[in-house]
Amino acid sequence: MKKILFLLMFVLICSGIVMAQTGLKKKRPLAADYGNVVLNNFSEKAGFSPVVFQHWVHRVRFTCRLCHVDIGFAMKAGATGIKANDNMSGYYCGTCHDGKRKFKGVDKMFAACSKKLTAEDGKRCERCHSLGKNVKREYDFAEVTAEFPKERLGNGIDWEEAEEKGFVKPIDFIEGVSIKRPALTIQKDFSLNAKVEGMPSIIFSHKKHTVWNGCEVCHPEIFIGVKKGSTKYSMVEIFDGKYCGVCHGKVAFPSLDCQRCHLDPVQG
Amino acid sequence: MAGLLIRHAREERRVKPFRTSGKSVRNTLGIITIALSMLAGMPVLSNAMTPTAAAAAVQDQDDWKKEFEDICSRTGDSLSLSSGELKVLVDRCDALKPRIEKLDGTQKKVYLNRLQKCRDLLAFVLESMAGK
Repeated sequence: MKKILFLLMFVLICSGIVMAQTGLKKKRPLAADYGNVVLNNFSEKAGFSPVVFQHWVHRVRFTCRLCHVDIGFAMKAGATGIKANDNMSGYYCGTCHDGKRKFKGVDKMFAACSKKLTAEDGKRCERCHSLGKNVKREYDFAEVTAEFPKERLGNGIDWEEAEEKGFVKPIDFIEGVSIKRPALTIQKDFSLNAKVEGMPSIIFSHKKHTVWNGCEVCHPEIFIGVKKGSTKYSMVEIFDGKYCGVCHGKVAFPSLDCQRCHLDPVQG
Repeated sequence: MAGLLIRHAREERRVKPFRTSGKSVRNTLGIITIALSMLAGMPVLSNAMTPTAAAAAVQDQDDWKKEFEDICSRTGDSLSLSSGELKVLVDRCDALKPRIEKLDGTQKKVYLNRLQKCRDLLAFVLESMAGK
């Protein structure tokens, strides 16, 4: 009995020490894994591993707007409800992954999903249906992003600077899918006062956001207020995945990187 | 005189029965042909599309897509449009929606979503103009 009690105490003390070190926080993902989305509406039911969608390999080539507006992917994992039939019909992933489409540096995009499965198709399926599998990726994150401007958090890449300096030239138009439209009217930057005294105000740049998102990604689905100052944003809500937090903390740089947004010097 | 005419007619019918029935058969066939042609033109009674109806369906498909592209190509410069123009575009979105709802499967889902995004943005810009 004494031995059992002693063992129990020992286990409890050790657990306490471990938790004190790591806490209950979510583990920070590796730079290459930041922005990965797991999709499992139908995969396991159909006998496949869930899909691991890598945002980084797609944002190197395409704008957020192209996928989330023109192709129609929802902003929340699993909300689109993609099925193999959709892909085979040329929608969603199948818009590009049709076995035919060419992009710069890619002779032929691999086809997503097939009606009949051969042994070779199995390998192709695993390119996407890869959760829990040790799949060798075609594009290595470190190699592709070696020359990109670096940042502290998220993917460790300053995507904004990468786009500005031409390291990435995201495509915003796909023939047969996108609509030809005139150039976007860019709005001026504006500042938002921080609630906490002593905290620099936020300088929000429409230009930096519209390069990737256009207007429709954010308005009105994420930012519904039409008048500046009508909506009060709190960091609690942002960290909870609302407003800026829809993207920042999931795909775009995390909101933990305060000085990326809180740029306006505090007036003395 | 009348009796003579009637008797002559009866004799004609007896002597030349086939000639008379052949003409009536041709006439009957002609009427049936015309009737069938008219019925074939009615979409309710024809399951298979005639070439004209198929072409019309394709035309309709091209039309809704052209309308969609025409409306949603304006989202980029929506800030430079007047409230009247924005209102017209929003109304056009509402008018287009039932046509897209008639489509099948994934195409319907994708384009309804795109139209909704387009409409919501135009309505948002319109509302922000009204608020100023």
